[in-house]
Order: sequence, then C-alpha cells, then structure tokens
Amino acid sequence: MDRGTRRAVEEFRRNEAGPLENQVIDELIGGELDRDEFLRRATMFGIGAGTLGLLLKYVGEADIAFAAPQTAVQAGGTIRVGIPVFGASLEPYLLNEGGSLAFAGIPGEYLTFTSPQGKVLPALAASWKPNADATVWTFQLRKGVRFHNGKEMTSADVVACLKHYVSKGSNAGLGPSFDADGVSARGKYTVVVRLKSPTGVFPYLLSQTTYQAIIQPAAIVAKPGTWVASGMIGTGAFKLKNYVDKRSAELVRHTAYWGGRPALDGVRITYFQSSAALVLALRAGQVDLVMQLSPQEAQPFRNNSKYTVYGLPTAAHRQVCLRTDVAPFRDARVRRAVALVIDRPQQVERVMLGAAQVGNDNPFWRGFDSTDRSTKQRRQNLELARALLSAAGAENLKFNLTTWNFLDHTDHAASIQAYARQAGIEVGLEVMDVGKYYDSEPAGADYFTTTPWLNRQATLTEYGARGVPNIYITRCYMSTGDWNASHYKNSEFDSLARTYLGAAEIAAQRKATKRMAGLLLRDTPVITDYFIRYTTASSSKVKNYVPEGISHIRLAKVGLG
Amino acid sequence: MTRFLLKRLGLALITLFMLSVIVFGISTILPGNVGRAVLGPFATQESVDTLNEQLGTNRLVFTQYVDWASGLLHGDLGTSLTKQVPAWDLLSPALQNSFKLALVAFLICVPLSILGGIVAGLRYGRLTDRSITITGISFAAMPEFVTGIVLILIFGIWLGWLPVTAQAEEGASVLTQVKYLLLPALTLTLVLFGYIARITRAGMIEALDSDYARTAYLKGLPSSVVVRKHVLRNALLPTIAVVAVQIGYLVGGLVAVELLFNYQGIGLLVLEAARQKDLPLLTAGVLVIGIVYLVVTLVADILYAVLNPRIRLGGTA
Repeated sequence: MDRGTRRAVEEFRRNEAGPLENQVIDELIGGELDRDEFLRRATMFGIGAGTLGLLLKYVGEADIAFAAPQTAVQAGGTIRVGIPVFGASLEPYLLNEGGSLAFAGIPGEYLTFTSPQGKVLPALAASWKPNADATVWTFQLRKGVRFHNGKEMTSADVVACLKHYVSKGSNAGLGPSFDADGVSARGKYTVVVRLKSPTGVFPYLLSQTTYQAIIQPAAIVAKPGTWVASGMIGTGAFKLKNYVDKRSAELVRHTAYWGGRPALDGVRITYFQSSAALVLALRAGQVDLVMQLSPQEAQPFRNNSKYTVYGLPTAAHRQVCLRTDVAPFRDARVRRAVALVIDRPQQVERVMLGAAQVGNDNPFWRGFDSTDRSTKQRRQNLELARALLSAAGAENLKFNLTTWNFLDHTDHAASIQAYARQAGIEVGLEVMDVGKYYDSEPAGADYFTTTPWLNRQATLTEYGARGVPNIYITRCYMSTGDWNASHYKNSEFDSLARTYLGAAEIAAQRKATKRMAGLLLRDTPVITDYFIRYTTASSSKVKNYVPEGISHIRLAKVGLG
Repeated sequence: MTRFLLKRLGLALITLFMLSVIVFGISTILPGNVGRAVLGPFATQESVDTLNEQLGTNRLVFTQYVDWASGLLHGDLGTSLTKQVPAWDLLSPALQNSFKLALVAFLICVPLSILGGIVAGLRYGRLTDRSITITGISFAAMPEFVTGIVLILIFGIWLGWLPVTAQAEEGASVLTQVKYLLLPALTLTLVLFGYIARITRAGMIEALDSDYARTAYLKGLPSSVVVRKHVLRNALLPTIAVVAVQIGYLVGGLVAVELLFNYQGIGLLVLEAARQKDLPLLTAGVLVIGIVYLVVTLVADILYAVLNPRIRLGGTA
C-alpha cells in the first residue's frame, strides 16, 4: 500500500468519519467483514464511492464496481410490460401488492436504492450521514432533480412525504422508526430525520423496499389520495401519459430525468387478470417483459433463445406458522416434529423446481450481513419426529394447514401434507381466496383476532424480500408483532431482538441473530423451509434489465435490441 | 301487442327488483369488506374502520339498499365504493366491450351453427349428420378455457396469426379490434355450435317429417323450395329462443373467456365487484346484465310471434 493511500484513509477517519463509519472500517481491517459485506455496510452509512475504493485499496482489495456491466442499447422503442391486475389502491401510502407497487415504482422513486446485492445506494438522496449513535440521520438531496411537472425536488417535498408516510392510515410501516415531528428541513437540499431509537440500517428503510415511500411534490402530498388523479407525478425515468383503470397504462420518457436520458421512448403496461393469460401473451410476443412468474410458469421460457429468464436470490420466503398458544401446537416438541418431517432440499426441487434456497426455520437469510452462518441446518429426521410426537403424547397428530391460492402455496402445502404423512401426521388443507384469507372472519369482526392468516392453527403465508430482517423480526416474531401468526411470546427472544435492532456493530448483530436462530429452532413457532428466487422472463430483445426482489420494474437503463 | 309489451315490462321490473334484492341479500354472506379491500391486508383496523365509516359500508345492508334504490329511481346507478366514481362510468366501457365480443361471436357462431343444424337435419342419419352432431357435442362438453387455450396455442403461438389477448390498443380501427376478438369469438363459437346446431337439427327433422312438408313434396315442389319456404320457417322457431338466451350469456356470462383472453368485459367487472364487496357496482352490474337478458328475451318473443302466426301476443286466442 502506498503512503498516499494510507495518509488519505487516516485523514478520512480523523476528519470525516464518525464513530459508526470508523467501526465499519475497523470491522473490514479486522476481517469481520468480507469485501461484499463491507460494501453493503459502508454504503448504508453513506460512505461515498471514492472513499470506498480507497478503503478497499487500503486493505489490499480491488477497487469497487457497483454497476452491473451493461451493454449498449439502441435508443427508442416502447417496451410492453405485463403486470398482474391489482385490486387495491395505487396511492403510494396505501400500496400493498406486487402489481400496484410495480406500476407506481415506474413514475415514482425513493430517497435511496437497495441494489439486488443488498447495497444501499444514493438515489434522490445523494449522500447521508448518521450521528454517533445512529439516532439522527442527515440526508443531502440530489440537486437538479425535476418532477414530471417540471418543478425541482427540494427538502420541502421530502419532508412533506416523510411526515405523510408516518401518519395514521399509511401502510409504510415507518411509524416505529420516527414520527412526523422528527423530520425537518435544513436548507433547500438537506433533510434531517431524528429516530425514536438507534437504527444502523435506516437509509435502507427509505429505499424501494419500503415501497410506499415514493417522493412526490409537497402540494400533492398535502391532499392524500390525489396522486393518481394528478398524473402520478414523480421523478422517475418515465412519466404517465395515459391510464385506463385495470386495463392499461402508457408512460413516456421523462426528458429531464436526473439519471440521464432513458433509452426507451416509452412504456406500455397491460394488466392481466390471470397468470395464464400473462404467460401466453409473453409466448405469443404480445408483451416483452412480465413482472414475476412462478418457477413452473417460467419453465417454457428456459433454454429458448427467444427469451431471457431471470432468477434473483432473495430474502422472500414462506412462513408456516403454528399457533403456539393452542393445542396441538402448544407443545414445542409437536412443532419441532412437524418441522422435522420436511426434506428441504427435495422440497426446493419438488415445489420450486430448484428456484429457492433451503431455510432453517428463521428469517435470517444467508444474504443478510447480520446472519450468523454457523447455526446448524435442520434436516429431515422422521425417527426423531415420531419420537417427539410420542413423548408429547401426540402420536395421532391431525391439523389443518390454511393458505390461499398464490404462486407456490398450494403445491407447498400439499408437499408438507405428503411429508407429514410419512411420520403418521394427518394434515388437512384449507385453500382460500385471497379476499377470505386476508379479511376478518366474519366480515366486519375485529381484524387481528379473527382474520384466518393470523388466527388459524397453522397457516402458510408469503413474505416479500427485504434488505435487512428487521420487519420480519419485529412484526412476525416479537411478542408485540402485529403479524405474529404463531402467537409466539418469548421474552428472551424479544430482548435479543431489541439488542439486534439497537446494535450498530456487525459482530453484535450476528451474535444476536445466532441466539435468536437457536431459540427459533428450539421453539419452532414458524417453519421457513425455503427462501425463494425471484423469477421472471422477458423477450430476448430486452437488454440491460435487472429484476428486483420486491417486484419493482426499473427501466431507466433498459433498451430494446 | 301493446298489452303484451306492458305485461312483459311489468314482469321485467319485478324481476329486476327481485334481482337487486337477492344480490344485496347474498352479498351479506360474502367474505370481505370494502375498507379492507381498498387498504389491503396490512392496513390497521382503525384505518379500515375509518374508511368503512366514510363509505357508509358499516351501515345495515337494508339501509344501504334503500339508499341505492332511491338513487336508482332518480336514474343514478350508484357510486362504486372502491373506485369512488359513478358505477355507470365503469359499467359503460365494460358493457361496450362485452357487446363487441358478443357481436363478433354472434356473427360467426349463429349462421355457422344454424347452417350446421340445417345440413345435419337434411342429411339425417348419414355420416355428415353424425360428424356435425358428434363434433358439436364434443366441443360443447369441453370447458371454454380448454378450447380457448388450444386455439391460442394453434393460432396465437404456433402459427402466430392472431393476437392471444382480446383487448386492442386504444383508438384501434374496427378491423384491428375484430382481429383481436377473433380468438375469443371462435372459442365461444365452438362452445355454442353444438347446442344451437342440435336445436336447429331437431327442428329441421321435425319440420321435414311434418304433414305440410310432405304435402309440399307431393305437390311436386322442388326440394330447395320446400326447405326454404316451408321447412326453415318452422324449423328455426325453437332456435330463436335458444339463440336469445345465448346472447344474454355472450354479454354477461363470459368470465372464463374474459380471464383467459384478458378482456375487460362486464363479467369480469362484476366478479371483481363481488370480490371486493363493492355493492353498488355489483348490483348495478347484475342489473345491467339482467336488463340485457330481458330485452333479448323480449325481442326473441316478438320475433317468434311474428314468424309464427299461430301465436297471438296478449290475445285470448
């Protein structure tokens, strides 16, 4: 290492870096983080690309290259995109399903961007910096960003949006992190967010994975529910030209886009009422790109030069939740027995055609930096499962598994049923319509105490991809979690979760996740047998498309060859 | 005739009233609520309750019905709860789409089926008759989405001749729209062909075997004249009634075909309204479909009477 690099690094650590940044650098030097983990953590704390290159050089690593190599694309053309039709609102603060967020995310953008590799990168915020204990985050906005109506984006817009997204009625889930009073502007291009508790991953929470947090003009945010009516004004590469509800939408190039002139002239979106029609339209060449496919739906497009199939490992997973507070699952031995009947590698092949990674009954995906990888993987053990059932006096275990008709759910539930039969467990399947599964029962009753997905004795529910496991931990596993379908209550787990959430050091996070994973293996409130690979396909003339695990369709750099 | 029409109109109004009451009544046992449908599964109960309060969906179904019905008496079909726009604004384009598909399907299916039935009747008991009958029954027995997928695979994907979705782009010419509608129309033709052709065939066989046909033959009239002037007129009477019922189905009952061909017809709109428990839209949609059925049946009755002098509408005979 040359003296210049050493001097530059020392100067950065002394003059610019705060305690959190210095800690990450120490973790890199100490070997606790590998190159990729360091990049993910460092970008979270807003360390710029130039400094990152310097730091990597300092420890003898090659310089960074964030962007995926992209081929030159021909300018012009309109891409035809197929999206599943959605029933719920398109208003950003109400977004809650794949089809709607995929569409809203084309004209709309976010302060930060979580890359498919899990790095938090600048988007509408050019940079950010935490205070010493990660309770106050200061965001520098990118200058010269224009909304589709020509107005420049300023701190007033961002402050109005963030306040709106923590207000009552918002689906963004940012309320636990900060409240409206904690957001303020400092000048035209600086926004300060004061958090309720230290959060080392906060910039991640303002990226597209919190898909509601679209930045829109303050004047529109001031009247909630008017974004669609006012033309979905955002800062994205394409602006809305025409929208026919549940049928189609047309978007055209935003010529003043801050990220450079988009190659495509426009985007034509068609909404599909059924996945069969969507797949057939791609096969017949009536659409160029589809939002998401199940592995089975993607099968005809593989090994065919006319199409490109995309697969992206993600933290998206399925949770088989077992009610820990009612028979027959009150006894942890019974829950463990059910988890032990599944042959996970075979399950991945059988249900997902290989497009998944084996899970270990916890939400700590191997791609998360905070995941401790030393936890022993649970494997099928029918003998042990029978012994546990016998010890618990549940030799003739019978239960119903409730789910809804979505992608792999039905196959998944049937596969568990077949595995369970090998250990003498009888599983009944209850497959519902989405409306029934996610509604109160009967209609109008108290939601959280009656809805099937949170109250049946065993449920199978999907969870979308996130860049950090925070939401899974707080909402699905902690005693206070509103999505805690297994009704799991463990004060030791809650305490570890709080430790994890407040820890800025990676070592402390990993220590906490390891202990949480151990508790979850012992208690098994939830069976997570796989993390899914986000799968989709396009015509081979679509160039430079990179899918995202949360269903967004980013087209700024895409072209048609 | 006037008396007949007035009587039918009165019956139609009673039918439509009963229809709206039944739809509102049945909807109370449907799962789901509007607030939850709009805000999604992860919204807080408080937000859902607030929205339901704003929309008035937490009131008694009877109160909601009275509100909706009084609006209807003033020519207002109600406002969609989930979209917050007049129900007619949503129903109108969907109904237009349904009419377009029904028209194309009708123009292909009805002449073809009647011709098939006539040929089968004239060639009664021979190979042609059996071929037409068996082919018709086979296609009629097949679910429409299976027939549709087979047609899509052949004409849309292997041959690449026709679009696999039925919705043409905004502002497309009439010919382009027809091209987009061909595959779903052919699907419906295959589904309905057997039924209509069999009814026509049965009418033909009966008419050909009648005394008046025999007399006409004995008079020495050429076969073509007997069929055209004497047989067809009587043989087609039952077909008219059957075709009328099928028009109602073609307009309002095509959910599976609309789903498969991604077509925004009234069937899908009503299905979606039922899923979201959007009562005003659901009831207005069912009512509109009901009106189509009633009008088509009425027209068929009148046509039947005109073609069959033995029927005297409203008369005492």
